[in-house]
Amino acid sequence: MEIGPSKPRLTTLLDNDILSRVEQLSINASQRFTSRGRGEHLSRKGGSSNEFADYRDYAEGDDVRFVDWNVFSRHRRPYLKLYRHEEEMSVVLLIDASSSMLFGEKLTRAKQVAAALGVMGLFNTERVSVYAFNNDEGQPQMLKPGTGRGRMRELLRFLEGVEGGGAAPLETGIEAALRRHRGRGVVVLLSDFLTFGDLPRSFNLLYSSGLEIFGLQLLSPAEIDPELTGDVRLIDAETQAMLDITSAGNLLGIYHEYRRAFQTRLDTFCTQRGGRFLSISTADPINFVLLDLLRRKGWVR
Amino acid sequence: MIPGFHALSSAWLFFLFIPVVLFYFLKLKRPRQEVPSLLLWRQVLQDQRVNSPFQRFKRNILLILQLLLLLLLVLAAMQPYWRGQASTIRRLPILIDTSASMAALDKAGGKSRLEVAREQVALMIDNLASDQELGLIAFGRTGRKLTDFTSNKRILRDALETLSVQDVPSDVEDGLRIAQALARSTPFDQAMLLSDGNFPMPERFDLPFKLDYRKLPGAGPNVGITALVAQRTGQEGWALFVSVETSSESPAGAAVELLRDGKPVQTADLTVTRGKAERLSFKFTLDKPASFEVRLKPDGFDSLAADNVAFIDLAPARSVFVYAAPECLAARAALAVQPGVRLFPEEGKAGPGDSRYDLVITNKLADASMTSPVFAFLGVVPEDLKPLVRLSKTPTSAIDWTRTAPLVAHVELTDLLVVNGSEVGQGVRDNDFENLSYEALAYGQHGPLILQKRDATRSAYFILFAPEESTFPYRVGFPVMLANLVQQAMQQAGLAETQGQTTGVLPPQHFLAESNYTIQSPDGQTWTEKSDARGMLAGVAANRVGRYKISGSGAADKSVGVGLLNTSETSLTGAEQIRFAEASVKAESTATLKIDRSYWPWLAALALTVLLVEWWYYQRRPGGYAA
Repeated sequence: MEIGPSKPRLTTLLDNDILSRVEQLSINASQRFTSRGRGEHLSRKGGSSNEFADYRDYAEGDDVRFVDWNVFSRHRRPYLKLYRHEEEMSVVLLIDASSSMLFGEKLTRAKQVAAALGVMGLFNTERVSVYAFNNDEGQPQMLKPGTGRGRMRELLRFLEGVEGGGAAPLETGIEAALRRHRGRGVVVLLSDFLTFGDLPRSFNLLYSSGLEIFGLQLLSPAEIDPELTGDVRLIDAETQAMLDITSAGNLLGIYHEYRRAFQTRLDTFCTQRGGRFLSISTADPINFVLLDLLRRKGWVR
Repeated sequence: MIPGFHALSSAWLFFLFIPVVLFYFLKLKRPRQEVPSLLLWRQVLQDQRVNSPFQRFKRNILLILQLLLLLLLVLAAMQPYWRGQASTIRRLPILIDTSASMAALDKAGGKSRLEVAREQVALMIDNLASDQELGLIAFGRTGRKLTDFTSNKRILRDALETLSVQDVPSDVEDGLRIAQALARSTPFDQAMLLSDGNFPMPERFDLPFKLDYRKLPGAGPNVGITALVAQRTGQEGWALFVSVETSSESPAGAAVELLRDGKPVQTADLTVTRGKAERLSFKFTLDKPASFEVRLKPDGFDSLAADNVAFIDLAPARSVFVYAAPECLAARAALAVQPGVRLFPEEGKAGPGDSRYDLVITNKLADASMTSPVFAFLGVVPEDLKPLVRLSKTPTSAIDWTRTAPLVAHVELTDLLVVNGSEVGQGVRDNDFENLSYEALAYGQHGPLILQKRDATRSAYFILFAPEESTFPYRVGFPVMLANLVQQAMQQAGLAETQGQTTGVLPPQHFLAESNYTIQSPDGQTWTEKSDARGMLAGVAANRVGRYKISGSGAADKSVGVGLLNTSETSLTGAEQIRFAEASVKAESTATLKIDRSYWPWLAALALTVLLVEWWYYQRRPGGYAA
């Protein structure tokens, strides 16, 4: 066995071996939302790649170099060969870093997932940008879009520096991010989605901006299976609003119903807009989430 | 049934409902729990199920449980009870029979009658209200007050705990008289009698209060010795007669064993049927005093053990020692011809040695210092009677006499003429003699002619005329009366017929004068008694069957055995009705005894249960559906 000096850890978020493994994965976008810029994603529109896409009737002004002369010889009519266009895809990582995400290390897990997906995007020459909402004004902390593995260190430093806090609702953050973002692709929403705001509207905005929605809900075990008994006064971590609960132990069954219904509703919001939804627990190991769960769910390949 | 409350004043505690409700809604101590978001919890609280009436009830179940807990505690503090018979009674004396038959068991290893009675009384004590008082009176051969009227349950329980069966016949009248005496100082309307009904009817007793007679359930079959009599046969021979009876409907077999000075000498088997006493006889001769013990061993279950043993002490046969004063010429002449009588003072001889006689006949009050169980004073008036009666010069004759009295049995006094008869003073009544413990056996025209005074150790007869100054010595009744005296002296000395010693009081014993003697009862208790100036140790209580050991100077570790020997106690029959002088009281079963039953301990226990349910309900692990 060869023993050498250990490689310095690139980030505190993920181990090097996990990073090296996610570098070999790529985000599996199903909607092919791409920008016109040249990239590695084949466009649905005609392009100049070597991959054949379709035929169409020749129209005046078309480049005769793309006429399929073999078809012309058989049918005596000119048909134009269409080729797929390889375009770049934006990977937008929206991290909910509000106070509610500080519970049960949800923010840490969100940053870890964002780091992994961001690395995947950079290694696949996609334009990766990050927006973190961690203040009351709703103005996101932003990492500008960039491509190439050379930006990996910058991405990781940015994510390491994201602090939690603030009480800005998720939809405010999404709107603020969309005001800054240009380009189509994939948006990964990393949040607990526990907001009173109008989430369908925010999802519509994302969809109409050409972003395929990847909603990842992060919940702590205390939210999935809370241990509450007797009469308690619940305090909202973000708004400091109070709610008195009597005989909390008896209400847990209904709580679980509403939690599952809420997840189903989020899943519906995403899938209706061609996206995906997944809910994970912060108790799940990061290896399992990145290398097993996301692959099985078709988020990455 | 409407419950009553012993402490209705505690109802003011219901005002505690107000602060409980106030504190509940103020929720002063609701714990705070920070959560990421109230989103889901708000939806939960808006759910129709949560806001359904039942769920609203569940939401306030803590308040309801607290109010229920408080309600139970306040009700317990008010000391509710179901009204029974005793609810209207403020003061109740309870007479408890402790006679021998109360030791009878209902079955082998079962409960005695006294234990059943004790359980009933204990139940009454437990449910005694604070404004009610009980007084406990026990009666066997005599009655005794165990407690004054008190509501102190500890005192009552302690007294009840000390209660034990005495192996003596029952005398309910004595117990009732104690209750009557109590009523004079502390009035009450009703008394309760707990007994198996095995007692003689108090037909002379005027019941001054209402009596609730509770008859205890019957006991199992019993076989016992009911009589033990020894009779002299010939010069030195004795015959011992044993009577055995049973309370069982079916014939009962038993073995009888005779022990002489602790050693078995004879045995016999017998079968007893109810209503018919089975008699056995054992014959033997005696040349020295001996103690006999008869033991009965029933074949099957025997509910009462106290009547299975009897004792009798016998002395060798001898003549009756009679002292007749030389001045009593007629008496001496009559006694001289009586067979088996040795007359003192004899010509030129001293007395029997220690001045002890079986019978003393004299005309001098000073001779009362002699030692004898039977005295007959002729023509003298005792000192304590001199204010009431005197001997006059007025002639008189007998007008009436108690023919059943042993002294005048078969004695005809109709033609008796007395020259110097007795005469009572002005305003003297018959009960003035009774108050001084004298009983008139014969009356003359101006006052009593013959009086009897009995104490624990001897009987004294006072014939208030000199026989020589009457026609009495010339009548056949005179030698008959002297023969009755001799017969009585023989019985007292155990020379003619002797009964087995019975419980109650030990037979008088003659020891050294003014000396202390230690008595040890069969159950191991010891105490000291003092002999009187004549050396008589009398009045020693003997409430247990068995041998009593007497030790002290001159006693030489003497032991005296006593048995129950009571037909009534052995029969275990219980009266269904008590006949009093002017009324009768029917028996009620103890099963129908309605006792005020306090149920505040149940309410308190229920409150504790509610408290535990509340604790469990709110401290249990969170339930609900799986995640």
